[in-house]
Amino acid sequence: MENHLATLFRWLLVPVALAVIAFLIYHLFRWFGWKKKQAMGLALVSPWIVGFLIFTLYPLGDSLYLSFTKSSIFGKTEWVGLDNYIKLFTLDIEFWPSVRITLLYALFSLPIGVIGALLIAMLLNNQIKGIGTFRTIYFLPAVLPEVAVALLWRWMFNSESGILNYILSPFFKLFGMGKPNWFGDPDFILPAFIIMSVWGIFGTNTVVFLAGLQGVPRSLYEAAEIDGASGFRKFLHITVPQISPVILLQIVMGMIGALQIFTIAMFVRPSTAAGKFMNQLVYERGFTQMHMGEASAIAWVLFLIILVLTLLVFRSSPAWVHYESDMKR
Amino acid sequence: MLASVLLVIALVLSACGGGKNDNGANGGNGGNAANNGSSGNNSGGEPAQKVQIRLATWAGADEAKELQAILDDLNAKSGTYEIVQDSNPAEYDTRMITQLSGDSGPDLFWVSAQRAAQFAAGGVMLDITDRLASASHPAADTNDYYEASLGPFTHDGKIYGLPWLQQPVMMYVNKALFDEAGLDYPDESWTWNEFLDAAKKLTKDANGKRADEEGFDANNTVQWGFTLNGWPPAQMFIWQNGGEVITEDMKSSPIDTPEAKEALNFYADLVQGPLVPSQSIIRDRGFDQMFRNGQVAMFMGGAADNLDSTVENVQAFMVPAGPGGTHVTFGDILGMGINAKTKNPDAAFQALLDLTDAIHHWKIMPPRKSLADLETLKELHPNKAHSLEAIIASMEYARPYRYSEKYPDWDNIFWTQLMDPIINAGARPDDLIPKVKPLLDNALQ
Repeated sequence: MENHLATLFRWLLVPVALAVIAFLIYHLFRWFGWKKKQAMGLALVSPWIVGFLIFTLYPLGDSLYLSFTKSSIFGKTEWVGLDNYIKLFTLDIEFWPSVRITLLYALFSLPIGVIGALLIAMLLNNQIKGIGTFRTIYFLPAVLPEVAVALLWRWMFNSESGILNYILSPFFKLFGMGKPNWFGDPDFILPAFIIMSVWGIFGTNTVVFLAGLQGVPRSLYEAAEIDGASGFRKFLHITVPQISPVILLQIVMGMIGALQIFTIAMFVRPSTAAGKFMNQLVYERGFTQMHMGEASAIAWVLFLIILVLTLLVFRSSPAWVHYESDMKR
Repeated sequence: MLASVLLVIALVLSACGGGKNDNGANGGNGGNAANNGSSGNNSGGEPAQKVQIRLATWAGADEAKELQAILDDLNAKSGTYEIVQDSNPAEYDTRMITQLSGDSGPDLFWVSAQRAAQFAAGGVMLDITDRLASASHPAADTNDYYEASLGPFTHDGKIYGLPWLQQPVMMYVNKALFDEAGLDYPDESWTWNEFLDAAKKLTKDANGKRADEEGFDANNTVQWGFTLNGWPPAQMFIWQNGGEVITEDMKSSPIDTPEAKEALNFYADLVQGPLVPSQSIIRDRGFDQMFRNGQVAMFMGGAADNLDSTVENVQAFMVPAGPGGTHVTFGDILGMGINAKTKNPDAAFQALLDLTDAIHHWKIMPPRKSLADLETLKELHPNKAHSLEAIIASMEYARPYRYSEKYPDWDNIFWTQLMDPIINAGARPDDLIPKVKPLLDNALQ
């Protein structure tokens, strides 16, 4: 019981401390001459600011620092400047294959994911009988745990008895190919992961697109119909521009998600001949080989890749993304 | 303004940190019914001065239950410690690394040989050399341990932990399939030649043709002589042929010697040839499952595997010797160490000795020569009785890898650049070795 009291005490200490911080912040900023409302607002969000500083900003800064050090987790951490990065770019035999397979995966899976999700959303946007049921069914994949899905894929991709090779066998015969060894043959690992990414079409992505589609005013379609526009022209000139902000969101989120692929790769455990995905490399460098410095450096390179690609997408967006507010101007 | 915010954060952090100091709070929340039981036993006289020792293990549900029975017994007998079990197989190594690098680590923890070498070098395990020398406990006599088993726990001549298990790789044999093929069971005289010969006779296609017969159809095999999927390790075959993968000074990787090359080719021929199922068949039907189902006749697995006690007609034999008659097998070693940061090193050391000794009487195979007695082991493990003689004999020549701080880097290259292409992509050792050797050497620098 005494042990439990100590735990209870600590659990209570945290909210009390947070309340004290909020109180102090309020009075501090009042003392600086802030308005009552402003000081109160800051005081009320302070628990989240504290949480952000401790659990997000500090680890972020620490990992950046670690990326310039030689650190084995235990023992001393030694500052080595840019050595980790130089070693990655020049000597490391695993780094470039890893960047290559990660980028290629994102390049192929992203358009499939975005276009696929949009098409499914358009199907689900029809007013037919039982559409609610269909929408539920198409959302179901989102509630399945990723690990279970990974194991299911592993089974489906089995080159001997997997359903995929069974269905595709006439196609393979046509081209005189043998059954591909999906997770063993380095040439088939990337295609296998791209096929698995189709899974991502369903679920949240479709629902977000569906919401976007339902926000398109009917009047626009009616006006186009009066002018005699075909279905395809309506899609191209009304639907796409109208939902372009949603497409932008999906591209950015999809890209980040694809570049950070980890769970499926860890559970499918393919041959490493085609390279490991970058997040896998980070994990193995850090926790198997205990080179936290190198692992942090790889993580920061991944971050920079994501940052640059995201900025490129945003930079290109004025050319094709249309916001309601812009049109009124 | 900023300063005050930081000050407040510092206060919160110190409050959190301060809470961690009173130990026991973490272990207590499990509500271990067992603890209550044993502390009740002592209610008679002595004051409750027992120190709580937290033990971390990777034991799964069943194993943890057996372990708890052992702990209850030890806790009841001891006047100095009370071991509290914290068992969880999920992400065990990662959890240990983060806990040991912080201040919340357990006092006592299970550790694999590879991690022990890393942990000892990293200074997170308590040096127990002097304590062992002055202790008079059956588990503290370092001369009683098989030499190989202490290796991974020794760093710069100091001992950082004790092994509680050394399991040599054995060859499990389906005797019914041997009888059917009219073959004698393996014995001490078996080398690669006899092994290959038997594997050929034990591989047959749907028409009943054996692999050494005219008209054998390798695309229609229903029974295989042997199976390989990266396990058993290629190192073992290299050792059997008189080669090494890491030199004794741990400075280079002589995989280009004729002995090593020949062994790697032997391994590649097996894994890519008709006597072993393809990797996709193994993935589909399950590696050991195929042996259990009688689709594979010979299987190499650790001595602690239950193949011989749960599958009918299965017995463990010594693995075949190399062509020159050299007997070597890989020995998987598991042990236990004390957290260098423990607040109760004396009680933890006592608990380490008692628990290590208890596990030696629980699992196959204890790494101590005095316990390698056939009759005693038969009594402890009646369901493995028929295999024990070969297991005890294998202990004499079982050896672990040459673990060091750099071993994981070396292993990563050995596996991804050499073994994976041989096993999964049909690559040949002769093409790979010249490319991979410099990488392996480099990893050891």
